[in-house]
Amino acid sequence: MTDSGTKERRFRIQRYDPEKGGTVRVDEFVVPTRRGMTVLDGLLYIKENLDSTLAFRTSCRMAICGSCGVLVNDYPHLACHTQIEEFRSDVISVKPLPNLPVIKDLVVDLTPMFEKHKAIMPYIVRGDVEEMESPTREFGQTPEELSEYLQFAYCMKCGICIAACPTSASDVLFLGPQALAQCYRYCADSRDEGHRERLRLVDNDHGAWRCHLAAACSEACPKGLDPALAIQLLKRHLALEALGLSKKQRPAAVISPPTETKPKLPWPEFTVRVKR
Amino acid sequence: MRATRFHLLHIVTAVLIAVFLGIHMVRQHLDALLYDSEDPSSWASMIDRASSGLWAALYIALLAVALYHALYGLRGIILEVVPSPRANRIVTWSLIVVGLAAFGWGTYVPVHLLGS
Amino acid sequence: MKRMQPRQNNLGPRGWVWAGRYQMERYLYVLHRVTGLGLLLFGVIHLIMTTFFRIGDEDMWESTISVLHNPVLKVGAYLVAAGFVFHALNGLRLILQEFGFALGRPSPPVYPYKDALRKRRPWTVGMIGVIVALSAVLLYDFVSGGW
Repeated sequence: MTDSGTKERRFRIQRYDPEKGGTVRVDEFVVPTRRGMTVLDGLLYIKENLDSTLAFRTSCRMAICGSCGVLVNDYPHLACHTQIEEFRSDVISVKPLPNLPVIKDLVVDLTPMFEKHKAIMPYIVRGDVEEMESPTREFGQTPEELSEYLQFAYCMKCGICIAACPTSASDVLFLGPQALAQCYRYCADSRDEGHRERLRLVDNDHGAWRCHLAAACSEACPKGLDPALAIQLLKRHLALEALGLSKKQRPAAVISPPTETKPKLPWPEFTVRVKR
Repeated sequence: MRATRFHLLHIVTAVLIAVFLGIHMVRQHLDALLYDSEDPSSWASMIDRASSGLWAALYIALLAVALYHALYGLRGIILEVVPSPRANRIVTWSLIVVGLAAFGWGTYVPVHLLGS
Repeated sequence: MKRMQPRQNNLGPRGWVWAGRYQMERYLYVLHRVTGLGLLLFGVIHLIMTTFFRIGDEDMWESTISVLHNPVLKVGAYLVAAGFVFHALNGLRLILQEFGFALGRPSPPVYPYKDALRKRRPWTVGMIGVIVALSAVLLYDFVSGGW
């Protein structure tokens, strides 16, 4: 018996267990769903009540950690951020993200993504190595300089853009929208002086030029990052660098912390006087 | 910056194809507009163009840019399907050989006809 | 316990064509590839025609031209023309957008997210309109004979 507001929906989940034969099959579970339940709630219900061997990643349940990327009804979503009712269907099909190796059930191996991310030097590089390694002062950056790359700094490495990218579908050596967008994020950061080095890392046969502007990555990104825009701006940097026209970017200056402090405020007047 | 330069050439040749092919299309198919009484695909019209150095130059230029653009695009597609350094070498050199052979042959014909 | 190798789950080239319900820009990319390959095939045939069959005598040329009167090849010629129109105009859009010129500046993401290409969707639709219009003009010219 279902109380009002609860509807039973079928979850068709792709299973894969290498320790038990390694066959890919689809298991169907009936889950009582209510308005407001996310796909992650459904998966947790299945794990708690129906099949505890179901493997999936989850952590923050609020679309900030990037753990729960899955393919729901053939489109990549964050399970915690996706309402069951938005599909307007009684059948929810959940599969692991494509274009990444599958470890078990819905858990994918994100190592290729992290390796490619590491490969593009995702950190600020300064000419003054000593200041970079043991900083004594801070880098100054205006709000305009921040807005050049802030949108791309929201990446939480969920892997959904890689699942959406058609080039990543066939080319395992392709750096992927995540790494390329982060490459641009660091090149565009005014505090960084290593963009020349970094551009040479993406100037190869499986780098920025294998992006063909399908823009599926931007469409699917759960944080609105727009990796496609980052990659096209990266291509502009690459083209200018190849033509020798790149502007000599002045890196953000180091600023000493302020030494003068504000004067201490006077003690406030007592508003309540106790009459003895 | 080598890969970037090859890709920039891909884009430059794209624009040049549009220009040269535009001229070729106007000559071949919009002959009514050019008040040309002769059918551009007829033997007589072709003999006429064969003796013109300008047309020979146009055809050779169109062949060069089209071959580069097409073979670079094809190379990109093939490398996305078989991504490995060895495949890269084989595919790139095969396409260079095919491209140069096609260009050589495609240049020889109008030059030969120019002389005859 | 023996460490298991993760199972490969790449979509492969099939993933170029269909990977889910994505929006139109992804399919414009597929069509650009398909028309490019089609034009390459046409280019090879055309090169053979204008070299091997040209340096012979007039009879060889006339017989080649007569083969082109085949209706299947005529439809093929229309497809080449329409394919070229698409490839050229979409290519122009790609040249403008691939260097970020026509895409605008980065802006902080505000839900519901609209990325740069979706913001430029009206221009893309306009481009498709021009392509369809030119293809229709070519179709009219084709159907009314003369090809």
